[in-house]
Amino acid sequence: MFKKFFSSFASPKKLREAGILCMNSRNYDVIFKNNQRRLYPLVDNKVLTKKLANEIGINTPGLIGKIDHQHEVKNILDIISGYKEFVIKPAQGSGGKGVLVITDYENEVFTTASGRHISYAEVYQHISNILSGLYSLGGKYDSAVIEELVHFSDIFKDYSYQGVPDVRIIVYKGFPAMAMTRLPTKESGGRANLHQGAVGVGLDITTGKALRGVVRNMPVAIQPDTGADLMQIQVPYWREHLIIGSKAYEMTGLGYLGADIVLDAFRGPMMLELNARPGLAIQIANGIGLANRLKEIDTYPSGLTPEERVDYVMKKAAK
Amino acid sequence: MLKKFASVRFTLSILLFLSILFAGYSIYYKVRYWGFNFVPKQNADVWTVEAHISFEPNGDPIKVSLTTPAKSDEFKILEENIIASGYTVKKDENTSRLLLTAPKLKKTQDIYYRVMLFDNIDSRGKTKAPKPNAPKKPIFEEQRMAVSKQIIDMAKKENGDDVAQIIRFLNKVPLEPIVQSYLPMQKTPRDMVETISDLLAIKGIPSRMVRGFKLEENKKSLAPDLMIEAYMDNVWKTYNIETGDKGLPENFVVFQRGGDALIDVEGGNNSTIRFSVLKSIASSMSLANKRAKLADNKSWYDYSIYNLPLAEQNTLKWLSIFPLAILIIVLMRNVVGLQTMGTFTPMLLAMALVKTGFWSGLLCFALIVGVGLAIRFWLSRLNLLMVPRISSVVIIVIIMMQFLTVIGYQFKYDVALSAVFFPIIIMAWIIERASITWEEDGAVNAGKEIVNSLFVAVITYFIISSEYIRHIMFAFEELNLVILFIVMLLGTYTGYRLLELKRFKPLVKE
Ligand SMILES: Nc1ncnc2c1ncn2[C@@H]1O[C@H](COP(=O)(O)OP(=O)(O)O)[C@@H](O)[C@H]1O
Ligand SMILES: [Mg+2]
Repeated sequence: MFKKFFSSFASPKKLREAGILCMNSRNYDVIFKNNQRRLYPLVDNKVLTKKLANEIGINTPGLIGKIDHQHEVKNILDIISGYKEFVIKPAQGSGGKGVLVITDYENEVFTTASGRHISYAEVYQHISNILSGLYSLGGKYDSAVIEELVHFSDIFKDYSYQGVPDVRIIVYKGFPAMAMTRLPTKESGGRANLHQGAVGVGLDITTGKALRGVVRNMPVAIQPDTGADLMQIQVPYWREHLIIGSKAYEMTGLGYLGADIVLDAFRGPMMLELNARPGLAIQIANGIGLANRLKEIDTYPSGLTPEERVDYVMKKAAK
Repeated sequence: MLKKFASVRFTLSILLFLSILFAGYSIYYKVRYWGFNFVPKQNADVWTVEAHISFEPNGDPIKVSLTTPAKSDEFKILEENIIASGYTVKKDENTSRLLLTAPKLKKTQDIYYRVMLFDNIDSRGKTKAPKPNAPKKPIFEEQRMAVSKQIIDMAKKENGDDVAQIIRFLNKVPLEPIVQSYLPMQKTPRDMVETISDLLAIKGIPSRMVRGFKLEENKKSLAPDLMIEAYMDNVWKTYNIETGDKGLPENFVVFQRGGDALIDVEGGNNSTIRFSVLKSIASSMSLANKRAKLADNKSWYDYSIYNLPLAEQNTLKWLSIFPLAILIIVLMRNVVGLQTMGTFTPMLLAMALVKTGFWSGLLCFALIVGVGLAIRFWLSRLNLLMVPRISSVVIIVIIMMQFLTVIGYQFKYDVALSAVFFPIIIMAWIIERASITWEEDGAVNAGKEIVNSLFVAVITYFIISSEYIRHIMFAFEELNLVILFIVMLLGTYTGYRLLELKRFKPLVKE
């Protein structure tokens, strides 16, 4: 029994050989050294992120409006007038908390992505909740962002149960280092969060092709709900995806960041949000250690433009 | 960049090393000179013995000689003073007798001698003593010697060791005929001691008389009780001269050893000496204070926390366990990799458990969190705003605590009474966090978080509730400096956490 217990642990030596980046080392060796604290607000606030992204030419869902104070909540109808579909979310939310996706709006009747009808009063209450900090970290006062709806491309339709898959790219010193796509499952409640049970599929950084899939750390070959073959995944517009990630480096100055990108059917890849301390599960989805990748990127040349960096990675890593 | 961090680690290592050296020396010093122990001996017996001497001067110059307790390892004198106005006082360190001299005096004299003793009962009978000279054989006439030998022979049938056998034989009821003629008719305890001593001397066992006091409440004046000590197996063992029982009785303090007269008065008549004894339980710490003063380390000691009033010491005692608890938290999070609710929540829970007792604390915790969660779910349906909602949870927790306490008191369930010891705000946050996690990530994850936090709390509890560890952390507070540098060094630990070895297991190919 003990043997079985111990065999469920890997030896630190083997992990080190495999170049697995661990939490302590991520915080100490990577984040401390590459991410300055004062830059965090740039990615923690979605309004700010969106503004910067527009300046640098990164595609994001258009901003419809923003509500900062309780007394402005009643303006919501003015803000959304003329729009049939939109998304209301907290500017400083995380993990998909408080995101209200409205796919149809007419005469003060709102239809959510799941087809539920809600009233103006409920939307009003939702915005109030956002402002009061219900969905933000530590319960700080927050603002509500109203942005355009992303029309998710159908390419991933077979791969996800409800919800929307996204692509996460880890960018180190401006070079795309590792990527995966996250596919919502029944277990994850239609959300693209790995710890809730979504499928993570590692992507070849040079091509956007599936490498392997995992659910809760265990390898899988098919999407558990739809049965689709995960190995068939090939993210289209891969270079464009990488360029968004690469540009995020110039945009924020963060040496280590995670970019969450979704594919809009009409407008191509769009950046949804950035993360200054992306998690380590991406290693499991890829079956590759991140530490070795980062070490390699340390030897890459500096002073390149975002496009040059992407091309450099696509060529270099392909070998 | 890497160099910089390496040097941080280097500096911290040096600091850690220095702090260990410092702590090591400091601990040595405290043990050696202040008499601190590693094991908690909460209370040590401190006795105050007062001798009241009075006599009528007869017109000649006065000379009083008084025995005082001699110092030994087992027997420390913390304070000694004498009230004798008009006398010159000298102490003979060798015999430890006090010599008081005065010119002719008229009135009835009253002299008070008071000594505060620390009688280290624990070490009695364990401290090796140097071998005394072989006892002088008594000079008896032939017949008495023969009887003595016969008594020694006959005593062999009694229980116990050589000494106990003789004592028991002499005290047999009814008295053995041979003993009857051997002992004086009106035997005093002193006669007993001397007889035993003689018999032991014939056997070649050194012995000495012991004077001491048995503490009895409401009894002010005492005459000293006698016991006998025999030197056996390299230690002095004490025996009751009537029962032969070995060991010092409880509440007995030794005042003097050897048979010297307690008091000699020249130039006075009708001298009496009366003793009163007071026993106080002093904590080892406050004792250390006295000892430190004896050891001439006053200045050092005056700045240490043991010189504070007891109430402050108790607060500090509680505080000084915190760093260790914090170290455990750091280890659990950064080395083991357990995620808990809030960084210090487990520590605060552990503290609460110490006050409530383990099982009743756990039960109470489960009750508060369980009921709290149920109510919180109902609250979440009301869609209250954040601050009012968490405030409601706080109030609910308070009401539950009140309820439990009242119920507990009425029905004498101690379990419920312990509710008050849980930190209210922490409980409210646990409920709030758990319910949010429950809603977002499911009951399993919420349960996991609570269990993790409790697990760390329980481990912390077992460490901080140990009397032994608490004592060490308080008595040797310099260890906290060591802990500080360990924690700082852990801040540079970039290796794998224990649970990551499991998490990333799928990534290593066999
Ligand atoms: N503009 C949008 N259009 C459609 N869906 C969106 C939009 N914004 C967010 N979402 C949905 O909400 C989820 C979480 O949004 P995101 O901006 O990443 O917030 P968070 O910081 O909380 O993760 C996305 O994965 C997506 O499914
Ligand atoms: Mg997101």
